[in-house]
Amino acid sequence: MHLTPEQEALGRRNFLKALAGTPALAALGAAAAIKGPVRGGPVRVGFVGVGSQGRVLLTNTDPAYADVKAICDINPTSLQKADEIIAKRNAPAARHYTEWKEMLEKEDLEAVIMAPPLWMHADIASGCLEAGKHVLCEKMMAWDVPSCERMKAAAEKSGRVLEIGYQRNYNPMYRAAYDGVVKPGLLGDVYHVRLAWHRNANWRRKADKPTPDYDPSRWGYPTFDHLINWRLYWRYSKGLFAELASHQVNVVNWFFDAVPSSVSATGGLYRFKDGGREVYDHVYATFEYPGGRTATFSSIESNAFDDYYEAFFGTRGTLILRHERDALLFDEGDAENLRATSIELSPKTGGPALDASESRPANAPSTAVSRNISGSADRPSATRFEVAGFCEAIRVGKPLACGPERAMHSARACIHANDAVAKKGPVTS
Amino acid sequence: MARSLSRRQLFTLDFDVRTPTSTHWVRVHRTAMACRFEVTLSSGHARQVPAARRALDEADRIEATLTVFRDTSELTRVNRNAARAAVPVDQELFELLRSCRALSEATGGAFDITSTPLSRCWGFLRREGRLPAAGEIDAARSMVGAELVMLDEATQSVSFGREGVELNLGSIGKGYALGRMAQVLSDDGVTDALISAGGSSVFALGDCAGDGWTIDVKSRQVASGPLARLKLRGLRGPAKAGHHVRGVALATSGAGEQFVEIDGVRYGHVIDPRTGWPARGVLSVSVIADDPAVADALSTAFLVGGAALAEAYCARHPETLILLTPDDGSARPCMIGSHRGVEIETYAPDA
Repeated sequence: MHLTPEQEALGRRNFLKALAGTPALAALGAAAAIKGPVRGGPVRVGFVGVGSQGRVLLTNTDPAYADVKAICDINPTSLQKADEIIAKRNAPAARHYTEWKEMLEKEDLEAVIMAPPLWMHADIASGCLEAGKHVLCEKMMAWDVPSCERMKAAAEKSGRVLEIGYQRNYNPMYRAAYDGVVKPGLLGDVYHVRLAWHRNANWRRKADKPTPDYDPSRWGYPTFDHLINWRLYWRYSKGLFAELASHQVNVVNWFFDAVPSSVSATGGLYRFKDGGREVYDHVYATFEYPGGRTATFSSIESNAFDDYYEAFFGTRGTLILRHERDALLFDEGDAENLRATSIELSPKTGGPALDASESRPANAPSTAVSRNISGSADRPSATRFEVAGFCEAIRVGKPLACGPERAMHSARACIHANDAVAKKGPVTS
Repeated sequence: MARSLSRRQLFTLDFDVRTPTSTHWVRVHRTAMACRFEVTLSSGHARQVPAARRALDEADRIEATLTVFRDTSELTRVNRNAARAAVPVDQELFELLRSCRALSEATGGAFDITSTPLSRCWGFLRREGRLPAAGEIDAARSMVGAELVMLDEATQSVSFGREGVELNLGSIGKGYALGRMAQVLSDDGVTDALISAGGSSVFALGDCAGDGWTIDVKSRQVASGPLARLKLRGLRGPAKAGHHVRGVALATSGAGEQFVEIDGVRYGHVIDPRTGWPARGVLSVSVIADDPAVADALSTAFLVGGAALAEAYCARHPETLILLTPDDGSARPCMIGSHRGVEIETYAPDA
């Protein structure tokens, strides 16, 4: 990424600020904003799939918004870990299920929050909607386009809420960037977006079997590894495009108010060929939008230097959204006058809006680093808004931030990206 | 009871109909006057970012006019020529110089925009504090004083009483810029924002949606915590004459990190223009007033003039609150005067 020296200096300053900035949007920032309970009281929910991402959703389920009555998972270890989360907040224990249909039959639920492996999304979400439950389904929407359409049709037929879990849509930083930068046209005309999600690891999860004789084959997983590493097998997963790109493409669709008309892509399994892995470990895609606008995406599992970001390059400015936490804005062409403007978003923590003192140098932040905020990283905070937003949609009809239509558009683009790799040619929507 | 909405409403993505979230601060900032100029908005007001940028453009414009660090500025032109001939200036600079003269009078000369020769002879302009040689201070003092700056109303021009006089608006420029920025924001319909420069000059517009703008006043010399926590509420009600924008201003001056030590006594880098010697005895001064330029000037004046000057000023100027922390190791500010736009939340904490 080419930057003028002034831009580099500014970007570096902001980068240092990001490193030094409050590590946690989580607890306090979110608590200030979420002032449940909503009208009608907490929504009675059941969880399907409480693996790692299901537990992120559970952790970010505010008891003022949702009352977790039951949890369902085919892996007993996941249920046990979910119990610990519920116990920590002194909420009543949730009843356990292995089969989601049994949970629907036996429990008086209004809504289901689900994060099973991708291939199961359509069956479970459609089944829940048909049973009259509202559904918050983890992204990507579904494994193939017909499955997405099936889910959307089920939501329309049942009249129930179906939201897909793209937490960026609920992240106040993205909403502020959209409202304050993109929508007022501060970037000018944006022809190019660069999406990157680079890591240097094999994406393989390690876990012990719940019991030595545990056998998940009746659920379609021949070995325990197929279950815990479902992301690495085509039967269950759509690989990096589904798990990473779809988040970012969903943002581009939102900011562009458009969907890709065509996608070209390359990729392959280049580095981690052992261990039975099937999905690509390197992918590169070009998403073409109407009006000559193009988003490129790369995800590599051999170098993490670029980390992950969405960068919008406009005729008047550049907006870089990094790590779901850090928003940088650079004026285009103004660097020699040092007039580049930065926009930072920082969570309100209950502390001061500003530290006043004798004059500080230009690179000093507005407030001292707050070191006493505990809690996990930013990401759950947006997820907290996501779960709350879902409950508000159910209770008071608050519009969804994503919704099935938008989720289907980004899913289609990412499914087509995989198709384009296989086909070695562009796929048109 | 759940309100029923059509699916279309539920599934329509229209961010305009949503309640704005105010969970974050949006800080729009840019470097000007060698510090960070910043407009802080609540994230619910993110749409006002373009207005914030226009306000920052105003700070750039003012810097270009008032700086002594650029050959092209209007002030540089005055400094270069006003000892030889009256220099006509634009109305903005003329009015600012007139305000400076009034502030100089109101503070008995403790605020003085001509003190540069003194800072130079003490080495502080080059950041190398030193004890001047005999006679140097007197020589510098002869070039310092508000009476050496003549303002001619008829021709709107400035002339100096002698060679060597130099104007420097460093102790009022940031506050002045904040006042102008506030006007730009106000013209754009922004009524709730916190604008600041370098942390030393702050102007609160509105009251942060009723919460008040929480500000911690800190000193670099006090590590134990803030000297005070304030809540600023930009004043509502009719605008006062001469104040186009309603807000409450806070300015802070301190002895700083630059010191010179003479005979075991520590002197800060701010010179008392009345004596020609560095100010001492005050660790930090914060002034709360209606006008950010006034607050800025006064914080410097009271750093050199101390509590006695602050008390004398407040006796004649209501709606001024001063937090003055003596350099006695106590880290406890004393409070002089009052201002209705500020609440002191915590004050004189145990050090």
